[in-house]
Amino acid sequence: MTDARQTADRFILFTVAETMYAVHSRDVRHMEMIEQVTRVPNAPPFVDGVVFSRGLVVPVVNLRARFGFERAPYTLRTRLIVVQTAGGRVVGLIADEAREFVPIPAGAIQPAEDTLAGPSARYLEGIASIGDRMILVVRLERVLDFEEPIAGDAPAVGDAATA
Amino acid sequence: MIVDDSPTIRKMVRASLRELDDAEFIEAANGLAAIEQIALGPVALIVLDLNMPDMHGVDVLKFVRAHRRSKDVPVVVLTTRSDSSSRETAIAAGATAYVTKPFAPPALLASAEHLLSAARQPQA
Amino acid sequence: MPPSELPPDHEPFVEFLDDYFAECDEHLMGARRLLLALERSVGRTDVNTPVLDELFRRFHSLKGISGMVELRPAEELSHTMEEYLRALRRRDTTISVEGINALFDGTHLLEQVVGARRSGGPTPAIGPVVHAIAALAGGSPGSTPVLPAEPAAIAPSASSAPQWRFVFTPSRELVERGVRVDTIRARLMAIGEILTAAPRVIDGGLIAFDFIVATTADPETIAALREDGVLAEPVSRDGAVAPSPAGPAPAVDPDSRIAEAVPVHSGVAPTHFVRVDLTRLDELMRNVGDLVISRARLGESLARAEAHVPSSDWRSIQENAMIIDRQVRTLREGIMRVRLVPVGEIFRRMPFVVRDLARETGKRVRLELQGQSTEIDKFLIERMMDPVLHLVRNALSHGIEPAEERLAAGKPAEGTITLSASAAGETVTLDVADDGRGIDVAAVTARAARAGLRSVAADDEAGVLALLCTPGFSTRDESDRASGRGVGMAVVQSAIEELGGTLRLETTLGRGTRFIVELPVTLAITDALITRVGAETFAVPQGAVREVIEVPLAAMRALEQNEIAPYRGGALPIVRLSRLFGLDQTARDRLHVLVIGAGVGALGLAVDRIAGQREIVVRATTDPLVKVDGIAGATDLGDGRVVLILDPAALARRIRTRSHAAGRLAEGAA
Repeated sequence: MTDARQTADRFILFTVAETMYAVHSRDVRHMEMIEQVTRVPNAPPFVDGVVFSRGLVVPVVNLRARFGFERAPYTLRTRLIVVQTAGGRVVGLIADEAREFVPIPAGAIQPAEDTLAGPSARYLEGIASIGDRMILVVRLERVLDFEEPIAGDAPAVGDAATA
Repeated sequence: MIVDDSPTIRKMVRASLRELDDAEFIEAANGLAAIEQIALGPVALIVLDLNMPDMHGVDVLKFVRAHRRSKDVPVVVLTTRSDSSSRETAIAAGATAYVTKPFAPPALLASAEHLLSAARQPQA
Repeated sequence: MPPSELPPDHEPFVEFLDDYFAECDEHLMGARRLLLALERSVGRTDVNTPVLDELFRRFHSLKGISGMVELRPAEELSHTMEEYLRALRRRDTTISVEGINALFDGTHLLEQVVGARRSGGPTPAIGPVVHAIAALAGGSPGSTPVLPAEPAAIAPSASSAPQWRFVFTPSRELVERGVRVDTIRARLMAIGEILTAAPRVIDGGLIAFDFIVATTADPETIAALREDGVLAEPVSRDGAVAPSPAGPAPAVDPDSRIAEAVPVHSGVAPTHFVRVDLTRLDELMRNVGDLVISRARLGESLARAEAHVPSSDWRSIQENAMIIDRQVRTLREGIMRVRLVPVGEIFRRMPFVVRDLARETGKRVRLELQGQSTEIDKFLIERMMDPVLHLVRNALSHGIEPAEERLAAGKPAEGTITLSASAAGETVTLDVADDGRGIDVAAVTARAARAGLRSVAADDEAGVLALLCTPGFSTRDESDRASGRGVGMAVVQSAIEELGGTLRLETTLGRGTRFIVELPVTLAITDALITRVGAETFAVPQGAVREVIEVPLAAMRALEQNEIAPYRGGALPIVRLSRLFGLDQTARDRLHVLVIGAGVGALGLAVDRIAGQREIVVRATTDPLVKVDGIAGATDLGDGRVVLILDPAALARRIRTRSHAAGRLAEGAA
């Protein structure tokens, strides 16, 4: 038992459209409530804009839009999860709710391609079952990489009007 | 001329004497500067603080009284309450009047007005 | 005239309270510095008279002005301090450790009393401190006179420098040039030590000032003073004055009594620096900014004129243009440098903080300062004061161990905190280091794990720093009043990050800890026009805007896909930013247009409103997700919201290529 716990990484759980996701806690700088987001014209459709976080200008990625869900207005539970990638990029992810820290043993994560089909699988490292919960473990770099065309994204807010 | 090393007091004195007719104010923050002003032109009234960094007010007063240009200029000396012997020395050195700090503006104004109108009278 | 006491209904000079506070600050700061100097002579038999005299004067002045504004506790406290200093000067009593501490306590309390009046808070009780100081003074009687000109302590000059006599004769003409006795005095102090200064009446009833100065300055420097009305002659050491050369013979005016040359203290501080009103400095910077823009426009005009100028003339025009360009740039850099202020400003308060806190905690601590002359932007100075203060307090309360613990560990009983500043290239580094107990990385990480704050991964110094800076994290169970570490470190880190800096930690258990702050030397600061487009705000760098015009809607014309407006006899294509950015457009009868570029390439960007002009700090928007053509960065106008900074040139390019492409499409379709 102790062994499993020692080899388990800790993750932060959050929900987007009733679905539970997880991201490595070591990638998370901090979490805060979302305040004023300044829109950036002509940014990718899933980028709501930018905010200041600890003196840095941080792009804000709307995960609902990114994962192909319908957009929803921010609520009091909405959280901005500020992550830092291995490459040093600092980006904020908007989740409906951020939950607890959870250790997930490496063995419990099944690769996504096995179970899911379709474009969404790109963003996932895998799926974990903890108890009766199904948790989608996120692959951060893919979520933040916008070279990849995203099929099925919700329409963007304030898209640049094509003349 | 207002001679005091404290800018706050200089402002206060100026404000107290605001109502003097036709008054032009010169300020000096130390003894040498005060004497320089005497060298540069006539002064109708001097308000002089006794405690200054480079020269004691009494010495400034002595110089003022010794110099032909200024020997008859009325001088109001500002003294502190506890400083009775300085006051006596000042009067002995030629102070025309003294006002104790903290002073009430009307009192200083009254002193100044009185001294200025007396000075305007033809000398006996 | 009878003396005048204050009548009961007298109204204190409330309008002068600000002046009062400012003067108090100056006197109290000066007093603190003097006390530190005085502290060094505790236990010695020679009394440091000049320092005592100056201290006495400070408190005497404080008493005077406090009386005028009727702040009685301040007046009484100053009076007590003054009396004690008087007793010390007259050797009625000697300075002791308790004496110094009492003087520090009194100064501190006086600061608090004045501060209370300033902030409207409750006035602290002065009774105990007053009694303590009065007791030390030996309960000397109340009214002892301030003796006039004690043939004053002209300390026999310690220097063996040659002595000169300088004679300055003031005149109206010199005053018009800005030369007065105070300026001459300051210059003499800058070249040497003024031993005596006295006025004297000379021939014709004029007044001259004699200064005896010990100086090693060379004869040219001394001769140069002649242009400002100062004659100089050497003085032999035994005091006999060399026969005066051709010059006004110091004859005595027969009409006046001889004025004795009264010896005088030269206690007035030299002024190597000028106080500058910040608003004037900002205006100066704006003017230089305008100059830069004008120079740019000149460049454009010249470029257009090149075709019409014979090449021989053109070469010299171009050369001069380049010279001016360089000079304008140097001027701008120079003005920007005026914004640079020595870091020592922040360091100034530290000795007092350390002293007070050391006493409070019963620890023995020494503070070392290094690199005070290192310069940083004035914008940063104010904002770094609190963070550095916090780090120093931390070092003292958490880092430095009590004396017994240090001795047991083989360290000297007295701990050392070192505050140092250095600059390298574009970065300024501020270090706060202590030789205390260091941070136990394992303990901190373990505690964090227990509190569920971090994954097990980061157990190095960077990780520990991150933990320390997490709000609410504290290594002590009780809140520590002296440093309140839990909340403080998080605030320190965010303050540093907001300035574009970084915070690092180095620590060795048992040996000490060092916090390293790195800051950019100058910030990217620029003047910008703040504009509104719909509900959004955008900043436009002033340098990119040629002109701002208002165009009534009625004057606009449509031309194919575009709108144009009459401008300087030609047509200016107008692009509405609201359309370009897909934002709401407010219906108006006129457009505010920022004219970008010149000549054929000119373009007008239409906004709803120009809200003003501001100096902004430019923050980078480098992440690929928001690297958008036309956005040059972001800034904060003070409310924490991001305001995007436009890149008008890039916008213009984009618009041109788009309309170009649209034109070609149209052609293709035709």
